[in-house]
Amino acid sequence: MAVSILQAMFSGLALGSIYALVALGFNITHNTTKTFNFGQGEFLVAGAFIAVSTLLLLAGHDFKGTLQQAEVTLARYGLSLIATVVIMGLLGVVVYYAAIRPFIGQPGLAWVMSTIGFGIIIQNIALAIWGPSPMVMPSPLGSEVLRIGGAGVLPQEILVLCVSIALMLCLDVVMRRTRLGKAVRAVAQSSTAATLMGINVTAIVVLAFVVSASLAGIAGLLIAPITTASVFMGLTLALKAFSSAIVGGLSNPRGCMLGGFLLGLIEAMVGLWHAELREISIFLLIIFVLVLKPEGLLGQRVVEKV
Amino acid sequence: MNWFKGFAKTAIAAAVVSGTAYAQDIKIGYNADMSGSGVAELGISGRWGFEAAIEDINKAGGILGRKVVGVIRDDLGTPPKSIQNMTELIDNEKVSAVVGPANSGNALAWLHLPQQKKIPVVVPIATGSEITTRYANDAQNYLFRISMVDREQSALLAAYAVKHSAGKKIAVLADSTGYGQGGTKDATAILELHGVKPVAVEKFGPKDTDITSQLSKIKAAGADTVIVYGLADGTAQVLRSMEKINYLPTTLGAWGNLSSLFPKMTGAKLSEHLIMAASTTEDTNAKTKALGERVRKNFPTLTTFPCAAQSYDSVMLIAAAMKQANSTDGAKVAAALENLQGVEGVIKTYNKPFTKTMHEGLNVNDFYLARWKGDTVVKFEDSVTKGFQPADFKK
Repeated sequence: MAVSILQAMFSGLALGSIYALVALGFNITHNTTKTFNFGQGEFLVAGAFIAVSTLLLLAGHDFKGTLQQAEVTLARYGLSLIATVVIMGLLGVVVYYAAIRPFIGQPGLAWVMSTIGFGIIIQNIALAIWGPSPMVMPSPLGSEVLRIGGAGVLPQEILVLCVSIALMLCLDVVMRRTRLGKAVRAVAQSSTAATLMGINVTAIVVLAFVVSASLAGIAGLLIAPITTASVFMGLTLALKAFSSAIVGGLSNPRGCMLGGFLLGLIEAMVGLWHAELREISIFLLIIFVLVLKPEGLLGQRVVEKV
Repeated sequence: MNWFKGFAKTAIAAAVVSGTAYAQDIKIGYNADMSGSGVAELGISGRWGFEAAIEDINKAGGILGRKVVGVIRDDLGTPPKSIQNMTELIDNEKVSAVVGPANSGNALAWLHLPQQKKIPVVVPIATGSEITTRYANDAQNYLFRISMVDREQSALLAAYAVKHSAGKKIAVLADSTGYGQGGTKDATAILELHGVKPVAVEKFGPKDTDITSQLSKIKAAGADTVIVYGLADGTAQVLRSMEKINYLPTTLGAWGNLSSLFPKMTGAKLSEHLIMAASTTEDTNAKTKALGERVRKNFPTLTTFPCAAQSYDSVMLIAAAMKQANSTDGAKVAAALENLQGVEGVIKTYNKPFTKTMHEGLNVNDFYLARWKGDTVVKFEDSVTKGFQPADFKK
């Protein structure tokens, strides 16, 4: 039984770290513009496919071919990470100017529809380019199962966990310790005041979307060796990530990380008991949190003075 | 303008001549997904089996002294396109029979068309049971099948599980889709006929990547044999999770795992662990080997050989029925299909494959167990399969 619990913990943490990464993407744009990209899931899909195709091109194949285990080295994986971040960053700029900026400050929820629409466009472009069948991406660390305390873990799961924790720590330090982070927090507080203080608000906001899209892309690249890259994998992951942000606190980056890991662990632990109850327990938790602490576990209550 | 009139006249005359020439040919349509969804691999394999059969028929002098022409249509895995193809094949191309499709959903979307227009259809891939039964009570049912029906596969898997498992400790693990849950229902019912109750019945999401918790429970229940109902990617995740918890019971699965995605996801070594149902494999006999080689010329990455063999046999049965009916008239051909004797196919020699009430040309007695070996699928045999008696297959 102890081994089963340990096993569930490992898989929960690996999946949870993906939720946390995507949830952070929601948090960053929410803090700076009070909007977010509802197409994050499709951005994750795009990231996964760009990574697979980069690896294929690096191995000298057609971009839709098949990868062999030996062809995925850490160096190539690193290069595909760079390609993914660059392309996804650009997509982040596009989504901001095409789907968010025209609607900022307007009443209503036009940006919700426009970002969902943008996501659907990305998904269908991916469908047209790569087709509906999933693409296999071998892990750069191989597929030999490691035994830790009797539980089996894939090397990729450890990589996912380490990379996402490292990324989260970096972001945390940047947000709290650097001038850039201060600027972002200033824009979050009040963009008018930030402009008056000489902060280039547009630049900060665009940067937020670039980071948000890149995080989704990296999440795609990290998860692809575990799930395969599939055009249809985005929605479920993004929904769980959004739930993580709501549970942990959409306004607090640390809350989003906590929410991600919490959801991943709950999913795995409940699955140990009754697989059908996983989704039920997660959404029950969300309802409880929303009733008892609407701002999320670590969120700050915003008192709006009228 | 005279030159133009003259030109037009010749053109029309040429069209009429060539038109009558074409009318001599017998057209058979092939409509399946060859590019769109995950089953495209099955559709492509079927297409080359279909073409090989037509080539062989023409080499032997055609049907009723007429040449046979195959009309190929890709339905992209979507019902609307499949319906459109079907209408086009029947109304414009005037085909005498159709072979297809790959997706059960597409078949269910257009079953009424051939049924109303009296065009016999032999389904070479799609496995949904309703395809051959929806019009079973009509005066003539025009839908036939040469493929692996879901319940018949379950009968084989359950029979193997019961004979193989020492303590009759069998578990069923299925994905939560309609397919998986239908499989669970079939398997539990068939196991009950054997007097066995599964020690555990678990489910997983079709996109789940970690099925260790369900497997831990199956392990705790003491199962030594697990029947898995999932598509290739889901079943691959099941095997990867089995490896993680170091629990590798005898694992049985359906023919969907023939997709090349399966060994790509599990790796070569783990892929060999799964034993699956298949109607035939390339290494069954000289005929299957030859057909496999022919299909590979056009489709080098072939892993879904049974689809090629089933399509080949579908065409052969249609041809035999046309000869027997001495006509290409749909109603006569359908009636002849229900009364065929000694038709040589790749999978077997068909003696009365269809009757008025039974439109499934293959059943559990024709199926094998198979497994992955590198990037091909080979027949699986052990003491249990060698000792199978027809009475073992309860359904």
